[in-house]
Amino acid sequence: MGENGAGKSTLIKVLVGAYKRNSGEIYFNHQKAEFDSPAQAFQNGINVIYQENSLIPQLTVIQNIFLGAERFTPLGLIDENKIYQEYLSISEKLGFELPPHEEARNLGVAEQKLVEILKALIHKTKFIIMDEPTASLSENEIEHLFRIIAELKSNHISILYITHILGEVFRIADRITVLRDGKKIKTVFTKEVNREEVITMMVGESLKNAYISPPTGGKKSQQPILKVENLRRKPRVNGVSFEAYPGEVLGITGLMGAGKTELSRLIFGADKLGGGQILVNDKPVRFHSPLDAVNQSISLVPEDRKKDALVLMLELYKNITLPTLAQFVNKGVISSRKEFDITRQYIKKLDIKTSGVNQVVKYLSGGNQQKVAISKWLQTEPKVLILDEPTRGIDVNAKVEIYNIVGKLAESGVCVIFVSSEVSEVVKVSDRILVLSRGKISGEFKRGVSQEEIMRIILQADK
Amino acid sequence: MNKKINFNAQVYSIKKNGILFIFILLCVFLSIITPGFLSWANILNILRQSSIIGVMAIGTTFVIIGAGFDISVGSLLALSAAMCVGLQYYMHWSLAILLVLIVGALVGMLNGFLTAKIHIPAIIATLGTMTIVRGLVYLYTGGYPLYVEAPDFAFIGNGYLGPIPFPVVILVIMVAFWQFILVRTRFGRYACALGGNKEAVRLSGVKVDYYHILTFVVGGLMASMAGVIYAARLLSVTPLAGQGYELDAIASTVIGGTSVSGGEGSVVRTLVGVLLLNIIANVFNLLGIHIYVQYVIKGAIILSAVGFDTYSKFRE
Repeated sequence: MGENGAGKSTLIKVLVGAYKRNSGEIYFNHQKAEFDSPAQAFQNGINVIYQENSLIPQLTVIQNIFLGAERFTPLGLIDENKIYQEYLSISEKLGFELPPHEEARNLGVAEQKLVEILKALIHKTKFIIMDEPTASLSENEIEHLFRIIAELKSNHISILYITHILGEVFRIADRITVLRDGKKIKTVFTKEVNREEVITMMVGESLKNAYISPPTGGKKSQQPILKVENLRRKPRVNGVSFEAYPGEVLGITGLMGAGKTELSRLIFGADKLGGGQILVNDKPVRFHSPLDAVNQSISLVPEDRKKDALVLMLELYKNITLPTLAQFVNKGVISSRKEFDITRQYIKKLDIKTSGVNQVVKYLSGGNQQKVAISKWLQTEPKVLILDEPTRGIDVNAKVEIYNIVGKLAESGVCVIFVSSEVSEVVKVSDRILVLSRGKISGEFKRGVSQEEIMRIILQADK
Repeated sequence: MNKKINFNAQVYSIKKNGILFIFILLCVFLSIITPGFLSWANILNILRQSSIIGVMAIGTTFVIIGAGFDISVGSLLALSAAMCVGLQYYMHWSLAILLVLIVGALVGMLNGFLTAKIHIPAIIATLGTMTIVRGLVYLYTGGYPLYVEAPDFAFIGNGYLGPIPFPVVILVIMVAFWQFILVRTRFGRYACALGGNKEAVRLSGVKVDYYHILTFVVGGLMASMAGVIYAARLLSVTPLAGQGYELDAIASTVIGGTSVSGGEGSVVRTLVGVLLLNIIANVFNLLGIHIYVQYVIKGAIILSAVGFDTYSKFRE
């Protein structure tokens, strides 16, 4: 366990030889182990299931599972029949139901994880490392995964389960090791501790209170700034209508795959509309590109920072001024001094930890990268700011800061649409909450609703 | 953490300026072993030899910064040179030049359109236009060399402005101009940004396809300008002109430190790359190394330059 940035993933990579270690020793099965690469660790029976999928999308389920462990006929040809029989016996044993001849790219995220687990078992793995395996799974899928983990355990396979989610460890772990700032804080038996103790170990004393304080939401005006009617785009958005008001934080939550990201992109004009209408200040608008949305003062901080929000190899100031570069141009020439000034303002305002305006964004931590992504949109002075999973993969401190920024923005009259699959934070920051299930709105709540109530609606609608 | 940042910054700056160190070291070395290397006449000579590829490589730099690739520029140089000579039978040379530059920009636009809008990988798209344009050269010339006699026009390739050859003047002005465009204008900034991450730039509300195409337009325009200088220098054009020039332009660009994956680069450093390749060829000739061997060595230099870039990225 440990917060983001505690060193969990790095530790794993050192363990299996993806990174070189500076010092220290590794023992596996009472023998000193020396892995030069993850492949070598894999051959020795250690398998890592990473956050990202590592399947080959064009190969079928079976082909992926047996990749590198194909069974051969005496003539040296691949023995499809034998492979299939083996597949059947092992998936029956674990109660998996996967379409064996489907290509991996057509599977859901959860199914892909199952394929990876099967692959590990076929390769006679004795030790499975799971790095935040539930990060992209729905509640049901997580249940299933936990049952499988229990099954694996009874088959004498050890599991190193890495997560920052407290609930998960208490359900499945026998022992908990907490990391913080790259150091081991303590290893404890799950039975002998309670949640508060573990939180304290994870975040240290000072942060516990900050985590609890909610930002204050803004007031609601009469006239909706944004109205969407029956938005559609196959397959994920199937008729969504809602209104959003200036000065409110509108939370949108739902399971992974419920269509939250797709909806955000539709409103921002990043994807083509399949149907429906968007109204800004009660006037219908058509967005052919994000530029049209920006011109209507609508902004989106996308879910995937590295892929969609930032140009990682460019400097901080170049990223921040990207949408508003025209403001810094005088007679066709960019004024870098103005850019630096504005960038310094945001560094101060949002407390971005950086060595300066010239730092390349790639070298910033996740939380600070997210602040850069937000800064660049604040400069456009948006009237509607859509934040898609703004706190994913960033540490507690940065999360709290993001909540505070959201609160302040709403107070200043911005309509913030806070999209997140973490119900706990949506409940905390939102004035109003929409629940999205299978591309439709399945519930609406006011501030003060409990997390349990929302989870109930989410799970109900998913059935 | 801070140490790591500084270390990265250092690697970054070595990568950026390493080519300059190598260039200066090489020049010092050569001036010691080759008397007269640093003479005014020799320097001007090297500069003049570099001017055609140099002008072309400016365009290549923009294309590669935008994460594109353009192998049609050699053919385009031939078409431009041929037209520049041929059109002078019908019109004043200045008008011919203007027309040729427009054709160059249009071919560049086509390359950009095929890449940005039709989503053909740039190397394949420009492979197609390379073949088409070379075909047009044969159609236009009928397969025979074209000649022109025009003293005014010849000045562009052979004249002097004071002591300095006119092609060198064009090269220096163009490098300064396009470096300014790259560093200080919106087009330059967006070219770098979209080369680094096109989707992120699109989601920043930038007309990415427009700017992406524009990088190819610069590529075509500068190839045409190189063609004009070529025609004015030789006053004759064969249909085979400019073959392999695209490789020299690309090589100079990547030796100059422009990342093959796009996003960063500099016109000035490309110029250094052009000079470096020319000086090396020059010295090989002086040392009497066979041209076949030179090809092998040139290839090795290109692979080292690109390999350094890609491998250091991979290690990160």
